[in-house]
Amino acid sequence: MSADASGLRELRASVGEFMAAKSPEEAVRKLMESEPRFDPDVWSQAADQLRLPALAIPEEYGGDGFGPVELGVVLEEMGRALFCSPFFSTVVLAAQALLASGDSEACARHLPGIAAGRTMATLAVAEEGGSWDPALISTRAVADADGGWKLSGRKGFVIDGTTADLILVVARTVAGPSFFAVDRAAPGVTAEAMETLDATRTLARLTFDAVPATPVGPDGAGGRIMAKVLDVASVGLAAEQAGGARRCLEMSVEHARTRHQFGRPIGSFQAVKHKCADMLVQVELAEASAREAALLAAGDAPDFPVAAAVAHACCSRAYMVAAMENIQVHGGIGFTWEHPAHLYFRRAKSSQLLFGGPAIYHERLLDRLGI
Amino acid sequence: MEQDTQDFAAEARSFLDAHATKAPDRAARTWGQGDDSMAYFSSLPPEQEAEQVRRAREWQRIRYENGFGWITGPPEYGGRGLTPVHDLVYDAIESEYDVPDTGVLGVVGLGMIGPTILAHAQPHIKERWLPAMYRGDAIACQLFSEPDAGSDLASVTTRAVREGEEWVLSGQKVWTSVAQHSDVGLALTRTDPEAPKHRGITAFLVPMDAPGVEVRPLRQMTGGADFNEVFLTDVRVPDDHRLGEIDGGWTVALTTLMNERDTVGSEGAGPVAAALSPDHLSALMRATWTWDDRALRARLGELLVDVLATGHLNARAQRSLRAGVAPGPERSVAKLMYGQNLTRAAHFVGDCLGPRLIADTGQWGTYAWSELLLATPALRILGGTEEIMKNILAERVLGLPKEARA
Ligand SMILES: Cc1cc2nc3c(=O)[nH]c(=O)nc-3n(C[C@H](O)[C@H](O)[C@H](O)COP(=O)(O)OP(=O)(O)OC[C@H]3O[C@@H](n4cnc5c(N)ncnc54)[C@H](O)[C@@H]3O)c2cc1C
Repeated sequence: MSADASGLRELRASVGEFMAAKSPEEAVRKLMESEPRFDPDVWSQAADQLRLPALAIPEEYGGDGFGPVELGVVLEEMGRALFCSPFFSTVVLAAQALLASGDSEACARHLPGIAAGRTMATLAVAEEGGSWDPALISTRAVADADGGWKLSGRKGFVIDGTTADLILVVARTVAGPSFFAVDRAAPGVTAEAMETLDATRTLARLTFDAVPATPVGPDGAGGRIMAKVLDVASVGLAAEQAGGARRCLEMSVEHARTRHQFGRPIGSFQAVKHKCADMLVQVELAEASAREAALLAAGDAPDFPVAAAVAHACCSRAYMVAAMENIQVHGGIGFTWEHPAHLYFRRAKSSQLLFGGPAIYHERLLDRLGI
Repeated sequence: MEQDTQDFAAEARSFLDAHATKAPDRAARTWGQGDDSMAYFSSLPPEQEAEQVRRAREWQRIRYENGFGWITGPPEYGGRGLTPVHDLVYDAIESEYDVPDTGVLGVVGLGMIGPTILAHAQPHIKERWLPAMYRGDAIACQLFSEPDAGSDLASVTTRAVREGEEWVLSGQKVWTSVAQHSDVGLALTRTDPEAPKHRGITAFLVPMDAPGVEVRPLRQMTGGADFNEVFLTDVRVPDDHRLGEIDGGWTVALTTLMNERDTVGSEGAGPVAAALSPDHLSALMRATWTWDDRALRARLGELLVDVLATGHLNARAQRSLRAGVAPGPERSVAKLMYGQNLTRAAHFVGDCLGPRLIADTGQWGTYAWSELLLATPALRILGGTEEIMKNILAERVLGLPKEARA
């Protein structure tokens, strides 16, 4: 299913309104210092009133069957508002990993709960070094005598890792990297929050000590599934980044219009004007690359992997530029704790590096292009 | 609508099949074979250039006579009366064929001056010039810039004084592309020196063979001479060649400038497109043994992100157009990025080639890039400099206060 232009506008407006009401700056600031880092009431409203977790899950699994384009609209609005919620970990990472695994049994077991907003889930790939390359993991899963699996190892940088009910773990088996589902309440799982640059998105360190685990997808297919998941997730992240970058630009423009120095609005000085124009260029490129990639994903186009790599790199840079220049345009006030600019700066930097950072994503793009 | 463009596409294909040959598939092109020219501006000897202009005119005539010369133009002036979408469809199909380069007619004349005449000229002047231009008979140029009026275009000082039913024009224009081939030019002149500068300007169509028009080539840093100085000495132009109101020429200029920014941002086809093509650049890296140079790879990655994202921006602007929605600032952003991307690409290539960019070893695909390198500074200037484009984005799109102006 896919929404037409006016459907997308409506979706954007209703999510935007929801964010304005439920995720104003005060709410974000309060949540980033509380545990959990999201408001369970708001999360259930998002699920019950707007059906946001259901949006991009196929109808056969209890979702509404929309696709990456609609998901992108929602993520742009969430990114603008720095919405604190398990949406990214649950809907973008975990649900997409389940779908990419092609394991219909696992999908049928977990996706309806996710769609209903009852199950919170996440994806655990990276370890100490933070790499998302499944070839570089040491977490292991071994089959035991009665046909079950036991998983052992340490994961890091797991988004919402202390609160997710369901953890999809990439672990090594004899056949290679493979996906497993782990119940957070299972014996042998410990989760510890990491201190983070961006307090609006929590990251955790998880330890698995011979934890019972259920295979998801074919044994040894983890590498292939991860490639797909990373593409989908980085396009989701790109939408969030584009939304955040657009918000930074708006803040700067508003300030540049109203703040006076030397008897004129600072926006009439060309140095400031050009900063804003440079930010606009970045934001336009970011939106175009994120939206185009989502469109190609929706059409299952062969160009999608390249477009996903472009969107990830382009939006990462655009958001970082916009977040940095936003502080510069605001002057001293932009450097205060009270001003929201640093919240965006923190999110921008942490999103840029989440999946490995520029050195990694530029190489990925070249790789996708066959270079 | 959908069916209609499909019929149109089929018609375009059969026209092109009958009059042109299919271009070799760009992806299948092998490194080291064929023409390695990277010229953005021509630097041909005069006889060859004249031949190229002749071929351009001829191809435009064939297009026109078959209904593809002016797809969006109104039928009463010889156009086809179709939509910009049909134009896009035709361009996409034509790019699969080897056809003569019609840039000499298209970029300025048909892309910028044609739409301005259509919007502002009197009906009999439209009848006089538009079919001629779109048929390839008349080449047009843009007589805007002057030695003291570039970015600040509204300070033109070329005078136009009324004498009965005629106007007498005197002054100097500069940087006039294709003036040496042109049959007509659109000139901005000052008709009221007392008025605030934007309000005392009037626009005229000037037949380039009128007595008193003198075109002198200017050599560019590329070596060739695509642009010129144009001296106007007591050139007499009938009043019906005026576009728009007396002293209302700025409105006319804005039409041209808007079309200019649209025209310049589009990705050039032909050899220059190779500079932005991932396949071509990676073949170059292999050929220069820089394939696994980490620093160069990182730069190539960064460059290609911008190249591909700019492509997405253009694709989205076109999609808006197809949906009947006026695109936003995409075209202006794309123009800015196009100049920067080609500039970065040319320097990237230089870093791969090393000394082979600065002296000709005779090796295919090496020194040829110097032609592109030398053209890139122009792309950050023509059609509004980078700085002026940023002012426009900041003031018109973002609504920031105007600069303090003298
Ligand atoms: C290849 C080529 C083809 C051309 N073809 C044509 C043509 O066919 N017809 C035609 O009429 N013109 C043509 N032009 C002229 C072109 O439009 C002008 O060169 C351009 O608008 C810049 O004007 P200028 O050269 O006088 O530079 P200037 O306006 O003197 O600018 C010099 C520098 O000052 C900067 N500057 C100026 N004002 C500002 C400001 N307000 N804020 C910040 N920076 C500023 C500029 O950005 C630039 O960096 C062509 C130019 C080139 C290079």
